Amino acid sequence: MGKPNDLVQGTLDLLILKTLSLEPKHGWAIAKRIQQISHDVLQVQQGSLSPALHRLEQKAWIKAKWADTETGRKAKFYSLTAAGRAQLEKEVGNWSRLSAAINLVVETT
Amino acid sequence: MLWAQRLWLRLQTLFRREHTAQQLNDELQFHLEQQVAENIAAGMSEEEAHHSAMRSFGNATILKEETRETWGWITLEQIAQDVRYGFRTLRKSPLFTAVAVLTLAFGIGANTAMFSLLDQVVLRLLPVRHPEQLVIVRETGNHYGNTYGANTISWPMFEDLRDNNQTFSGMFCRFPATVTIGYGDRVAQIPAELVSGSYFSTLGVGTALGRTIAPDEDAVPDSAPVVVLSYSFWRSYFDGDRTIVGRTIALNSQAMTVIGVAQPGFDGVELGVPAKVFVPIMMKTEMTPHSDGLKDRRRRLSWVTAYGRLKPGVSVEQAQLSLQPLLHSILEMEAQQPEFTRYTTAADRELFLRNRVELLPGSENGLRNYMSRPLWLLVALTGAVLLLACANLANLLLARATARERELAVRLAIGAGRARIVRQLLVESVLLASGGAILGLALAFLAARILLRIYLPADAAAEFVVSPLPDGRVWAFVVGAMLVTSLVFGLLPAFRGSRTEIALSLKDRSGALSASGISLRRMLVGVQVALSLLLLFGAGLFVRTLRNLESLGPGFPTDHLLTFSINPSLNGYSDEETKSFYERLNVDLQTMPGVTSVGFSVMPVLKGYAWQNAVVGKDFEGAPIEEQPVLNHVGPDYFAALGIPIVAGRAFTAQDVGPSDWRHDTYAVINESFAKQYFPGRDPIGQRFGLVDEMQPVSPEDIEVIGMIPDRKYRDLRETPPAQAYFPYFEDAHFRFMNIYLRTQADPRQIENEVRERMRQFDPHVPVVGLQTMNEQISFSLRTERLVASLSAVFGGLATLLAAIGLYGVMAYAITKRTREMGIRMALGALGDDVIWMVMREALLLISAGIVIGMPLALALSSLVRSQLYGLEPHDPLTLIVSISVLSLAACLAGFIPALRASRIDPMNALRHE
Repeated sequence: MGKPNDLVQGTLDLLILKTLSLEPKHGWAIAKRIQQISHDVLQVQQGSLSPALHRLEQKAWIKAKWADTETGRKAKFYSLTAAGRAQLEKEVGNWSRLSAAINLVVETT
Repeated sequence: MLWAQRLWLRLQTLFRREHTAQQLNDELQFHLEQQVAENIAAGMSEEEAHHSAMRSFGNATILKEETRETWGWITLEQIAQDVRYGFRTLRKSPLFTAVAVLTLAFGIGANTAMFSLLDQVVLRLLPVRHPEQLVIVRETGNHYGNTYGANTISWPMFEDLRDNNQTFSGMFCRFPATVTIGYGDRVAQIPAELVSGSYFSTLGVGTALGRTIAPDEDAVPDSAPVVVLSYSFWRSYFDGDRTIVGRTIALNSQAMTVIGVAQPGFDGVELGVPAKVFVPIMMKTEMTPHSDGLKDRRRRLSWVTAYGRLKPGVSVEQAQLSLQPLLHSILEMEAQQPEFTRYTTAADRELFLRNRVELLPGSENGLRNYMSRPLWLLVALTGAVLLLACANLANLLLARATARERELAVRLAIGAGRARIVRQLLVESVLLASGGAILGLALAFLAARILLRIYLPADAAAEFVVSPLPDGRVWAFVVGAMLVTSLVFGLLPAFRGSRTEIALSLKDRSGALSASGISLRRMLVGVQVALSLLLLFGAGLFVRTLRNLESLGPGFPTDHLLTFSINPSLNGYSDEETKSFYERLNVDLQTMPGVTSVGFSVMPVLKGYAWQNAVVGKDFEGAPIEEQPVLNHVGPDYFAALGIPIVAGRAFTAQDVGPSDWRHDTYAVINESFAKQYFPGRDPIGQRFGLVDEMQPVSPEDIEVIGMIPDRKYRDLRETPPAQAYFPYFEDAHFRFMNIYLRTQADPRQIENEVRERMRQFDPHVPVVGLQTMNEQISFSLRTERLVASLSAVFGGLATLLAAIGLYGVMAYAITKRTREMGIRMALGALGDDVIWMVMREALLLISAGIVIGMPLALALSSLVRSQLYGLEPHDPLTLIVSISVLSLAACLAGFIPALRASRIDPMNALRHE
């Protein structure tokens, strides 16, 4: 089971941005969502998630707001900013190129 | 706008750090709760769920730290921690901190203050455009005529040079004069600058108000009754009245129109004598009623200082070469004139034609020359202080480093990074250094103000602009030196620490490791002792010089003596009016209560001035200036007022003071040196002599000696009394400036105000100048000596203190390292005295080493200050012995305290120590 830590630098950022592109989520939901979509292949550890979220927030790609969860508890909800949306498009493009290239290499040999 | 948004976010994490950290906690807490809830849902017990959640989170502190790192500022945060920690450790050792900061402050303050004084008094260029291009044009060699002041030439020569040179982009000249100003009902005497028309334009000085003197106001004598005020004088005397331009003021009773106010900060080209008003030189006759030189165009009278502005790129040497042919042609022309040929021989003419042009820096002046030597001396002394301060600081920091070896070892052992420790020590050093720098700067600012106040005449000092950051380069140098010292020696333990075996340090056996430290510290103490000896010896020489000058005095009693000067001729009084003024004043002052006698003297006493002239007699001829006697015109009671006895013949009486001119019989009172020099082996009374003077020669039969006084000092306290001759003052055809000496019954300061009031009633238009007691005047004339003596004494004392601290530190440290050895020795039967002697032997070795290095250095350097000394030789043995004794005593005391402590070591405790 690959840890995001082992992934290419910046991949976790891409995953978080992608996850947030539909709707605002709190940190816990982001991690769960990634795990769920990837069929438990990608498990985001707290040790990676929290610094990544704060790094993205510092870059103003995502912004945070405190709001109530469905259970009525206060939680920090993250959402994409315009800059974050642009960054997501860029990173998706990068990722497609990179994975296609890797596929080519892997499948040819 | 993304960058702005990011900046905003970063600033939030910086300034709302606690808030942000709290939010992070909340967020992580929420995640934890979610995990716990999930675990419970998966069927774990609550406790199990909790533990499992915590495990999956890993190390919460590291998690938080890593997250915080994404906020940035982590370096800043750590530095803030280091600063806080640094303050705490410094506060924990207040004595070390105080001594270190004070050492730094002292080193920085003393050096900055001294150098800024030197800079402002001696080095600074004039506050004008491109001051480095300005030069004074002077003529070397004998000028064969009369001279007013150094570096002067005649007015016609200035005109010739100005109109015919190809060297300068501009030339101007000036003449300093004292004038009486009247405005409203106030009168005062002020320094004025008579300037040629190109003065302001060549200097590149503008006005704050109105206009400057124009070149066309430079053509016809008496034609330009206009005046430009200096900015500070306009502010102080006219309260900055902007309507002053166009108004009329009276200078020497001549109505003058104010045409402008010069730009702020400019008060003439002579430092220390700030000009208050600038007047066209064409008004010379009105401004100096007693002499001319302008209209009569005398070439044998030099009085103007000529300045030239070098064209860009032209060096002083090139300019001198290119001016020389011009000067030579002027000299050849002058040598043909009857004014020259009448009094000179062919040999004189040869010599005269060899005169050369010399260009001096435009900032050159007498005050600078007079002050520069003692000031450079003091700068050298403070340089030694800086070295000493650095040595002391190094010593302190080394001592601290060894004391902290254990602390650093502990911190390394529990996982502190080497870099972090270096940074920590760096921060501490910088904290110390900046504390010292701030304090030193304050000290320097204060000290420079006080020094200038001591050093310059009162009104000059008041207007002298002392900048708080006098010279950036000097300050940077001094602070840099101290900073480097504190960094190098502050960081030493960190680098030494990298060689430290942590375990060894922790086991408290670090003594072996610090061996290099202690020998370095011994060396530093040796240097400190040597430098202290240097400073102490210098201080001794200067203090004794001052003592000698004060105790020997001028040779007449100076208590109960009040003096002031007046110059009625500046109010436009004619010779007749002036004469009558002095006759009436003499009578008036003699009847003043509290005054026992009144002395009038044309030349002031002990102010550095002298009127020298060659004398001729039946069997002696005129002599060169150094051998000429000093002459003076005095009133009848002058000798009585000054308390100078008559040893042969009689003093002047009121009858001798009748109007007369030099061609008839004139009386003279001479001093013993005069008699010895000109009438050896004869009774001087009744002898006759005459004066050599190109304008007014007095034949050898005309002056008769009627009395003799003992030798007394005349120009200053340092001189051996010169040959002197006094004449009744009305013998002089020009009665202008007069110095008045009042011998009083009580403390003369008590009647100062009465004298001022009496003079105001006597003639409200004639200002009283320089009213002070003779002791005050003498004290002011010794200000340089006093400054040097007191500063060097302070430096010497502090140097000794610093050396003693250094020695104490080294000895105390050595003893703590040898506690066990001492314990063993004492257990084996050594007595307390033996231990004391053992320790003292080491201290004495250090002291003697320092003295052996310092003594030849002190003796060699003291020869350089020979001219600053009075009444003792530069190698004065008594001073040397006393300073060595004082230093040794202080150092021995510093060594004795730890020695005594060592002798009281309890052997049992010492041995159990490890």
